[in-house]
Amino acid sequence: MGSYLLRRILVAIPTLLLISVLVFAIIQLQPGGFLENLLEDPRVSRETIENIRRQYLLDQPVWVQYLHWLGGIVRGDFGYSFLNSRPVSELIWERMGWTVFLAALTILATWVIAIPLGIYTALNRYGPSSTALNFVGYFGLATPDFLVALLLIFLVLQSGGTAVGGLFSPQYIDAPWSWARFQDMLAHLWIPLIVIGLDGTATIMRQMRANLLDVLSQDYIRTARAKGLAERVVLWKHAVRNAINPLISLAGLQLPTLISSTIIASIVLSLPTIGPFLYDSLLNKDQYVVMALLMLSAVLLMVGNLLADVLLAWVDPRIRYE
Amino acid sequence: MKRHLWLLAAGLLTAGIALAQPKTMPAYANLGVTTGKAGGSLTLSLASAPQTFFYYGAIDSAIQNLANQMFDGLIEYNLANYQIEPALATRWTITDSRVYTFDLRRDVRWHDGRPFTADDVVFTYTQIVANPEARGGDAANFEGVKIEKLGDFRVRFTLPKPAPAFIHYMRLPIMPKHKLLPFSQEGGKPRAEINTAWPTNVNPEEVVGTGPFRLRSYTAGQQITLVKNPNYWKRDAAGNPLPYLEQLQYLIITDSQARVAQFLAGNIGQLNITGAEFPDLKRRETQGAPFRVVQFRALFGSPPHIGFNYNAKNAELANLFKNSDFRRALQFAVNRERIIEDVYNGLAERASYGVAPLSEWYYPEVARLQGRFDLAAANAALDRLGLRRGPDGIRRLPSGRPLEFTLTYGSNSAVFTAIATILQSDFQRVGVKVNLQGILAANLLGTGRGADWEAILLALGDQPDPELRTPIWKPGGALYYWHQATQPTTPTGQPQFNNFLPWEREIYDLWERAASTTNFTQRKALYDRWQAIAAREAQVIMIAKEYAVGAVSNRYGNYIYSLGVIPGFNPMPLMFQR
Amino acid sequence: MDKRNNPLYLAWRRFLRSKPGIISGIVLLVLYLVAFLAGFLAPNNLTVQHPDAIYQPPQRVYFFRDGRPVRPYVYQLKRERDPVTFISTYREERSQPTPIRFFIAQGEPYRFLGFKTNWHLFGVAEREGYFFPLGTDQFGRCLFSRILVGSQVSLTVGVIGVLISFLIGILLGGISGYFGGWVDTLIQRITEVLLSIPRLPILMALSTVIPASWPSTYVYLGIIAVLSFIGWAGLARVVRGQVLALREVDYVTAAVAQGASNLRIILRHIVPNLSSYLIVTATLALPGYIIGESALSFLGLGIKEPMASWGLLLKDAQNFQSLSLYPWLLTPGILIFISVLAYNFFGDALRDAADVRSRD
Repeated sequence: MGSYLLRRILVAIPTLLLISVLVFAIIQLQPGGFLENLLEDPRVSRETIENIRRQYLLDQPVWVQYLHWLGGIVRGDFGYSFLNSRPVSELIWERMGWTVFLAALTILATWVIAIPLGIYTALNRYGPSSTALNFVGYFGLATPDFLVALLLIFLVLQSGGTAVGGLFSPQYIDAPWSWARFQDMLAHLWIPLIVIGLDGTATIMRQMRANLLDVLSQDYIRTARAKGLAERVVLWKHAVRNAINPLISLAGLQLPTLISSTIIASIVLSLPTIGPFLYDSLLNKDQYVVMALLMLSAVLLMVGNLLADVLLAWVDPRIRYE
Repeated sequence: MKRHLWLLAAGLLTAGIALAQPKTMPAYANLGVTTGKAGGSLTLSLASAPQTFFYYGAIDSAIQNLANQMFDGLIEYNLANYQIEPALATRWTITDSRVYTFDLRRDVRWHDGRPFTADDVVFTYTQIVANPEARGGDAANFEGVKIEKLGDFRVRFTLPKPAPAFIHYMRLPIMPKHKLLPFSQEGGKPRAEINTAWPTNVNPEEVVGTGPFRLRSYTAGQQITLVKNPNYWKRDAAGNPLPYLEQLQYLIITDSQARVAQFLAGNIGQLNITGAEFPDLKRRETQGAPFRVVQFRALFGSPPHIGFNYNAKNAELANLFKNSDFRRALQFAVNRERIIEDVYNGLAERASYGVAPLSEWYYPEVARLQGRFDLAAANAALDRLGLRRGPDGIRRLPSGRPLEFTLTYGSNSAVFTAIATILQSDFQRVGVKVNLQGILAANLLGTGRGADWEAILLALGDQPDPELRTPIWKPGGALYYWHQATQPTTPTGQPQFNNFLPWEREIYDLWERAASTTNFTQRKALYDRWQAIAAREAQVIMIAKEYAVGAVSNRYGNYIYSLGVIPGFNPMPLMFQR
Repeated sequence: MDKRNNPLYLAWRRFLRSKPGIISGIVLLVLYLVAFLAGFLAPNNLTVQHPDAIYQPPQRVYFFRDGRPVRPYVYQLKRERDPVTFISTYREERSQPTPIRFFIAQGEPYRFLGFKTNWHLFGVAEREGYFFPLGTDQFGRCLFSRILVGSQVSLTVGVIGVLISFLIGILLGGISGYFGGWVDTLIQRITEVLLSIPRLPILMALSTVIPASWPSTYVYLGIIAVLSFIGWAGLARVVRGQVLALREVDYVTAAVAQGASNLRIILRHIVPNLSSYLIVTATLALPGYIIGESALSFLGLGIKEPMASWGLLLKDAQNFQSLSLYPWLLTPGILIFISVLAYNFFGDALRDAADVRSRD
């Protein structure tokens, strides 16, 4: 196992390099640049633009810019944000707290809700409550995030509520933590949780159901039952454990959603997360911010994949890595 | 000829020369302004997080909004008629149209209590505005301008040649020398270092201005809080200190629907909306919602136009696009009345080039010269160009290929999408096939300044003086994007005159003359002539100028519409909470 | 051979046990039939704008007059504009009922099975007025007709896209997990590269590459290619995980010992064991494609105006104004919901039917 881990980590380095080249190319493909739009302001002249271009090496060939960036990474410098005139890492840290909080909460809520529901719908496959749960799940899948958010906000507004975006009411944003502030957050938090988590919950619930049904009809489950094991033990110790297995691979993929998957929801709900920051930087071609965020997402994915593989081997003794 | 132009605030005249020099605001009765009461708090929205707290460190609408509340310029605009009025300068003289001497307001204090003097003005203009490395500076307009301190409260700007619009540059916010010196060349730093002043994680105490509000706190990506400057130098018409409000809060909300939601929920006190959003909000108002939706004709704002790429990669199309007859023909197929009615809900009017219909520079004949929607005339004109229709109803180019081109527009704007769809449908009726290419609005100008487009739906801003928009409308300018062959090959070079069309040469000469003419009537005549040519040649096809629409909660009084980002136009000090 | 032992027959029998499965099967059949006949069923041209009928609400169809059944008819709606709010309101003009005609030939011809025709199932005569069964959009275009024609895109883009991405995903995931070694490493690194770059920047970059003058069919194929190109990687990972586990199961090792070919083992022994998971994943992936297509239009990459798809049509409804003033614009959303529901219940029933070992 140790050598396997080492090999995976070594292999990750060229993969990350390849990703960084691709990402850099993707940014360069966009038309215009962050400088172009500055010209619309009557203050800005072509000379100013040229000066900034030089200052940020944007007048250099693309490969020079790339190597410059790579050299910085080796020294632990993630570059400078054109837009904010500040180091990229600082800007990312500022937004990391709420991003991790929201993502972790959503992932947690998703799994905690979806797995039991998946088990429930598998065990009561034709019951009316299963059908109702499926309906809700499908609604989430079939409706764009943006529309779900809008509909929820619309409902809150129609019912006279004021918690229609953000994580706090204006007066609590800067306030120190207090019971009132916590309550205020709870009043806001359920909308983002639903908008971000509904898709995932429905997906995991459906897959859990299918997997469990598969496992329940396997020979060894029948053997276990025949041996006279308690149904509870059969279900939880044997069936559920095996049914979760394919979902573990999926879980590994969820880590980078910390950054990318909440973009639309965060924009429409004005959440103080990295999503809108990435979106802004993409639009403005703030290339080092985009590079840093995308590379972060790549690293998270690899860590997630690695963890999933290790977990898979641990949960399922049938898997071996040579 | 030596001519003195004395501009004095009405209040000052009666008060005589006092040592303390507050400015008394005009009564603005025609704008519905009344005497307010002090106190209260107002929450507003910003569409993006600020990139810096240093106005000249970035071109960024968020900091432009905030700077308007935290800083002042030497001059400002009258809120009713956009005439220039004293701000940090109390009066000025202009000699030979070249020498501007400003007397500064005495007893103005920075937010940290330090006195404001001529040193700050000289520092701001020499070290920041005229600094070619400052991102949000204006070095081009201050080239060769000599800036001197003539005393603690007097500064002089000497221009190398007359520049009629120069006074407008005096609206730029004045920065505190005592705080920013360490970032400047004078303070021993490289010139580009100035851009790193006051980043968004700066201690708010450091950001001091002379404006009505000062920075209290910034929560990254969420909210900015400003508090009242108790020593502000403005008074209302009754002599009460301004601003009335104790606190301003800005929520950062990117999505326009989310802003509407926050307004409807009462979390935001005032919101600028578009004509497209007007009906629903107005309906709620008529049904008793606690807010008002008001519309104004606005001087600022960006009317959309269709630009054709005179240098399109497809040579046949480029020839057509360069041909005024073709552009005029298509202009007949642009149904401006319908766009104004259906897209803007009637809240827009015909537009001119870079000059708002409200502006004194507007040439009223423009609408007539642009012509009306007339499909028969469009068809006849296209027939005359020899563009015959094929069996599918689409006209054929001389090479036999169908006459089709791509129209690039901003797909994340409901207004642009709707205009593009209407244009496509109407152009189809005159046998011209349009392929729509939606891109993110943020990429529009970048695309237009590149070579890879055929026609584009773009909006560029209007300003109070046409001179301020020279790079757009003067052939060969940095933003004269539709005929890039006229632009100079190097950033500082001359335009490529050999590529000018005859009428472009005419416009160029008009702009050259206007730039050194100081007499208003003569300048007006030159700009009138330019607008006439632009309309006659259908240089670009102007669509419509949108009215300014704002919604404000009934809790607040003295609301006057403002884009928020225009330096020198700030009605916020007059607003009060009932 | 006894019919009762035929596995397909048995599967069919099991399928028939699921009522939601049967109902959703019928729903899907109807949806595809409608998409196939869209041109004929749509009463109006999908691109023609009616400036005098913008945001017109759905027209009510009447079957009785003075208490007696008559040929179905509608009233023409007259537009009025509120002088204060500028909201268009419509009033039925009771004086002039407009009969709905069936099998009517009028308007722009459309293509059907290679023929050009202008027959429509129903509509009102053009000179007599309009009939917009589901109302109109901002430009006065018939929403019903646009939904019908849009279904051709939305109902196929997902299915074809899922099929392609599944083919790639199963094949590469299977190979990766089965053979292991450097093949596994290579394929896993490719999937990591694909998965690690968020969709948005990839799409933004691609949007600048696809030329605007492409005809709709190309764009349509391009969308499918793009969506399946980014869609397969996640699946490949899951399939690989499953194959890794199954590789060690007795019957596979037995098959290997018997000298069965690798491909045969993957296809005969491993994939069937994944079928349950695959069916569910496929039906779950479908809505992503249907909605994802509309996100592409946002970036200038998807179906372009004046063409239509459900996702694109639903975008018009995504603001407070439409939600409160023009709720009929949400109909495409209801159709997406119905089709997603049908796909998934159908998928469930299919899964249960394919489950050979199921005894209950």
